[in-house]
Amino acid sequence: MNAPVNHPVMDPRVAAPFPEAALPVLRNAQLRKNVAHATDVIQTKRNKLVAEKSDWLELRDAASAIRAHTLEHLGEYLEQFEERCTAAGGVVHWAADAEEACAIILNLLREEQASEVIKIKTMTSAEIQLNPALERAGIHAIETDLAELILQLGDDEPSHVVVPALHVNRSQVREIFARRMGLEDLKDDPQALTAAARTYLRKKFLSVPTAISGANYLIAETGGVSIVESEGNGRMCLTLPRTMIMLAGIEKVLPRFRDLEVMLQVLARSATGERMNPYTSLWTGVTPGDGPQRFHVVLLDNGRSAMLKREVERQTLKCIRCGACMNTCPVYRQTGGHAYGSVYPGPIGAILTPQLMKLEHAQTLPYASSLCGACYDVCPVKINIPEVLIELRAQVTDRERESERRFFDPIYLGMRMANSVFANAGRFKAAQRMARIALQPFTGKDGWIHKLPGTGGRWTMTRDLRGLPDQTFREWWEKREKERAQ
Amino acid sequence: MGYVMQVSLFITCYNDTLFPETGRAVVRLLERLGVEVQFRPAQTCCGQMHANTGFRGEAFSQAKRFVKLYADAEAVVIPSSSCVAMIRDQYPGLIAELGNDALRREFDALLPRVLELSEFLIDKLGVEDVGAYFPHRVTYHASCHGLRSLHLGDRPFRLLKNVRGLDLANLDNLDRCCGFGGTFSVKNAEVSSAMLTAKLQDVRSTRAEFCTALDNSCLMHLGGALHKEFAAMRTIHMAEILASTEASPAEGLA
Amino acid sequence: MTAGSRQVVLERIRAGLAEIDGEMQTGYAELPRLYNQRGSMSVEAKLALMVERLREYDAEVVECPEAALEATIAAQIAGSGRRVLAAPAGLPKQWLAGGVDWRVDHDLSHEQIEEAEGVVTASFCGVADSGTIVLHHSPAEGRRVLTLLPDWHLCVLRASQVVETLPEYFARCTEPPRLATYISGPSATADIEMTRIKGVHGPRFLSVVLVQDDV
Repeated sequence: MNAPVNHPVMDPRVAAPFPEAALPVLRNAQLRKNVAHATDVIQTKRNKLVAEKSDWLELRDAASAIRAHTLEHLGEYLEQFEERCTAAGGVVHWAADAEEACAIILNLLREEQASEVIKIKTMTSAEIQLNPALERAGIHAIETDLAELILQLGDDEPSHVVVPALHVNRSQVREIFARRMGLEDLKDDPQALTAAARTYLRKKFLSVPTAISGANYLIAETGGVSIVESEGNGRMCLTLPRTMIMLAGIEKVLPRFRDLEVMLQVLARSATGERMNPYTSLWTGVTPGDGPQRFHVVLLDNGRSAMLKREVERQTLKCIRCGACMNTCPVYRQTGGHAYGSVYPGPIGAILTPQLMKLEHAQTLPYASSLCGACYDVCPVKINIPEVLIELRAQVTDRERESERRFFDPIYLGMRMANSVFANAGRFKAAQRMARIALQPFTGKDGWIHKLPGTGGRWTMTRDLRGLPDQTFREWWEKREKERAQ
Repeated sequence: MGYVMQVSLFITCYNDTLFPETGRAVVRLLERLGVEVQFRPAQTCCGQMHANTGFRGEAFSQAKRFVKLYADAEAVVIPSSSCVAMIRDQYPGLIAELGNDALRREFDALLPRVLELSEFLIDKLGVEDVGAYFPHRVTYHASCHGLRSLHLGDRPFRLLKNVRGLDLANLDNLDRCCGFGGTFSVKNAEVSSAMLTAKLQDVRSTRAEFCTALDNSCLMHLGGALHKEFAAMRTIHMAEILASTEASPAEGLA
Repeated sequence: MTAGSRQVVLERIRAGLAEIDGEMQTGYAELPRLYNQRGSMSVEAKLALMVERLREYDAEVVECPEAALEATIAAQIAGSGRRVLAAPAGLPKQWLAGGVDWRVDHDLSHEQIEEAEGVVTASFCGVADSGTIVLHHSPAEGRRVLTLLPDWHLCVLRASQVVETLPEYFARCTEPPRLATYISGPSATADIEMTRIKGVHGPRFLSVVLVQDDV
């Protein structure tokens, strides 16, 4: 099977720094076009529905408050969920990290003697790199979300949390399906492509006895769980098999059933620009005669608990994975998701991934933003993403500044120098004069600087810089005050 | 001369060094409106560059310096939304962390008196027609800090609407970031440039002679690219438009 | 292994939250809920909205008075051209129209349900704002697989079951349902170039009989 030449790297431990990873994407006109089109469509729909919702701000407030409250009492709610789910016939497992989660799931699959599993899209499973672990154990995981199927058959990676294949267009999909499903005469209209997927997957739904899913919500009050979807593959996987294994980050819990009245209203509008997504399923443990008779929930920590201590970090965990932030992000619009080198792309990825990695990796992600704040405006649970980005930048810098390689880094040097200069007006004035002198040789006859060396060259690559004026504002003011005094 | 009130001008480190004409325009404009302008020479920088790049430790002393310097000012006017946003959004946290109660009280009392230029004109002076004359086609770019942190809303438009001779062209995708983002423009120069190109597409299609904004940061990014491409369009800070009159047109327009 | 990590994870959580200022926390009962708890439409407007939303999803909607319910169901079935239909075990017997090969769900296998061309069920609630049909899978609504495999779902919804807003549905639940499915249109995907394609998995056709019962 021919993999794409540049298989996107989604593991933050080995992914290239963001500025580097963005380069090939910026030169991929098709991808940029696809990303712009997809995000425009969702945003337009989302904005229209939000404008029509007279209590949108109140819903956002409630959603944010419910999520914040839940995190402040996370242990209690998780224990309550575990108790009620278990009483209803489910089995709850706790995984401290990705490795343990994979081990638990593999163990369960061995008990099932599963050689294949059908999967509902779950980014959490990508986070723990489950599919490769399954493959190594000789278990074939079949993705059943259309987008995930496209990516799996195309040997590609997701680039968006809600519309993972938005970077792929119809003729690319046609090519993948024709090749992998053996359908040479397949047309490239979305209708035909979807029909092909429907037929291909139906056989699997009816025959594979074990399913793996993620979770949208865990309800502490009842021990119930909820999956929100559009295609129906979720319903297939949570209804037909004998065994269902649900992987859920510990932050997915909600206090009560009633809290869904808020979350469901904000989720669909934010994620797909609909008043409600086509199918939402809710079930509690095991119900004799209806659905899987074995139900396991694997609760995943993997770095989340370390984010609870400070409110500025804890707010990251309020995320309900709607994708609205990346739909509106002007950076994401130009780069798509792969440049982030992480399962979670866009603004939320830029704050979540570094924290999950305990800042040992993905250190360039907090800088992959112009701090425009558009994400915060649309976040249905009011995560102040710019605030978290700035906080993480400070943490990354503090880690780095003592290291040898940063000592001569132009930006680190420049910042140290600037701070010393800003501390004293005399020094500042002197620095202004020195800058004027230093930049004089680079200033052309038109009074503009067209090319600078080093870091400055990153500016002049696409922008000129007007040469420093002969007189600063304060020099002008000083002179004017003198003249007035006379 | 009878002044309506006195304000202290915080020119900002980059305007001072790179765009002194904006500062001169602010002074001319405010004095024309009967405002006495004071300039405290001890001023340097608000600390935004350091805070936003991760050098948070350095921002503490800059914040403290700012508060101490202006504690007794009647009002502080700043022709830069991003600097005002720094003071409103980040100073509270920084000052609180310093743990000095007296300083915090000083800051809390000062904060309502720190205003971006258009806020000062409209909210404090109650003026929308500043008596300006600028007979050119102009498009307005909303900087992200002004839009989302300061919620400037329609203030800039109310001011521009009253400038005689000015032909205002609406900018498509007004709320989309130009890609400057401070050090982002250099650390992520390629992505920043991609965003810039997309923004300029909208700016150029207005066929305006000038692109204006309340922040020279965005304008040096937009203007720098326009200049590199030998475009006819130029950038100009809104203070310079508002200061412009028949008798005294904006600098550099001759 | 799992018992061990349970303690590890809970302890990490406890340690992480240990320093949160108790006074700053909001109790569950004090959480702000200033969003609309109920609608403001008249009954007629609400029902009209429900019908409009359903039709936006390309669901077929027919309204009828209580007395005409059986006949309407029969007519819908006849008009569909489908003759092999599944039915929940608890479906009212009067709804089992003649001329149909009924597969009543007394423990039907998945293969047997696959043979059905459609299914007829009752429902729990309708939410007009989003055109959502709520199933709680009671005996008259059927097991979840029944409304999943067949290609056509004929759903009986009473006007008295229709609410305007989602919170009103939740308010109607005297206790949380053990099982629930919220259906807002046929399955759909926009994964290919954002072109919305209906009917991926799950019934591609939905018909609703809205009964004008005593509201």
